[in-house]
Amino acid sequence: MSKTEIQSIQGLIVEEDIPLTLEELCQACCAPQEHVVAWVVEGVLEPLGETPQDWRFTGASLHRARLALWLTRDLEINLPGVALALDLLDEIAALQAHQQRVGSR
Amino acid sequence: MKFKDYYEVFGVPRDATQDDIKRAYRKLARKYHPDVSKDPESDVRFKELGEAYAVLKDPEKRAAYDQVGSQWKAGQDFQPPPDWDAGFEFSGRDFGSGADPGHSDFFEALFGRQARGGQRPGMHARGQDHHAKVLIDLEDAFRGAQRSISLRMPVPDEHGRIALRERKLDVRIPKGIRAGQHLRLAGQGDPGLGEGPPGDLFLEIEFKPHAQFRVVGPDVYLDLPLAPWEAALGCSLTVPTPEGSVQLTVPAGSAAGRQLRLKGKGIPGKIPGDLYAVLAIALPPAVSESEKAAYRAMAEAFDFNARAPMKG
Repeated sequence: MSKTEIQSIQGLIVEEDIPLTLEELCQACCAPQEHVVAWVVEGVLEPLGETPQDWRFTGASLHRARLALWLTRDLEINLPGVALALDLLDEIAALQAHQQRVGSR
Repeated sequence: MKFKDYYEVFGVPRDATQDDIKRAYRKLARKYHPDVSKDPESDVRFKELGEAYAVLKDPEKRAAYDQVGSQWKAGQDFQPPPDWDAGFEFSGRDFGSGADPGHSDFFEALFGRQARGGQRPGMHARGQDHHAKVLIDLEDAFRGAQRSISLRMPVPDEHGRIALRERKLDVRIPKGIRAGQHLRLAGQGDPGLGEGPPGDLFLEIEFKPHAQFRVVGPDVYLDLPLAPWEAALGCSLTVPTPEGSVQLTVPAGSAAGRQLRLKGKGIPGKIPGDLYAVLAIALPPAVSESEKAAYRAMAEAFDFNARAPMKG
């Protein structure tokens, strides 16, 4: 480990400022394009726009796509399995959000 | 640099089959994946698993690691012998998933060069994007904040060898950011190959747990305990918010669990979140004689059956 340099930078909020194209999403989550297309067809990701050229993904897709890639590549889960796992994780997140709302009583 | 025993990470013997390794990885990865695990250490553990798996799942890398690693134990000081990888031809099929700033110095010293597929002259490609998580205080989302983060970037020297270089970035976190959102820092990822542009760095934002507030998306929740008479008769209270205190009117006849909304007092933004005070009734203990008398007087005054909703 050598030099240290300090830079000050301003980030952009992906979710609000930058809709990602298919190519940008693939680059950002290091996933091959055919995976991302398959996830959209299966309903794992829901971009705006009709054709792959017009697709625009939100920042939430970035997190989902990275998770889908891990499930696909490392756990070797097939497409319907990935969709199911993500739906179940969504449900857990919704339950946890509900728990947060009502508090610990 | 300390030697890392990748077999120990999985708890498998050195002669474990590829299937044993795969099984051990999957079992532990399911347990420690940050999206699944509640363990605060899960992030670190999961990275360690990923690094060990990147080596052991690949028969070529595993053979090279076995050759260099047979004389070392975990935690011992380690320097890779010169030309340790002579005779191994890494196919680089993991290009894209192998170069991870989360990998240790140890991994980078052994596999850093191969993971990047070598610097072939005349090859131009955009650098890889990177991801990191940043923990901020809830208050930072209300005011905006400046956070200093350390990143370890693998940088090739003039001989093509990879050295890790620490880089500190002062990141301005914009007001209104929410947990789970990503900040994109353009050009802060891996340097490009040849004349390719550098990749981007994505920071995922997470809030540190707060003693008083809970956060759901843009909304903030606060437990507000009331005395029975405050809930029954109504009252005006000063309640804390992440931006300072506000005056809140509790209407008469408020039941426990009722949520009072303070519009726009959640996380700021184009559509700001709301703050909810979740009411709870705290029961005062009856200890002294006068306290007990007060409860008895209540029992006299009310025609109230707490178990009325129960049947039978």
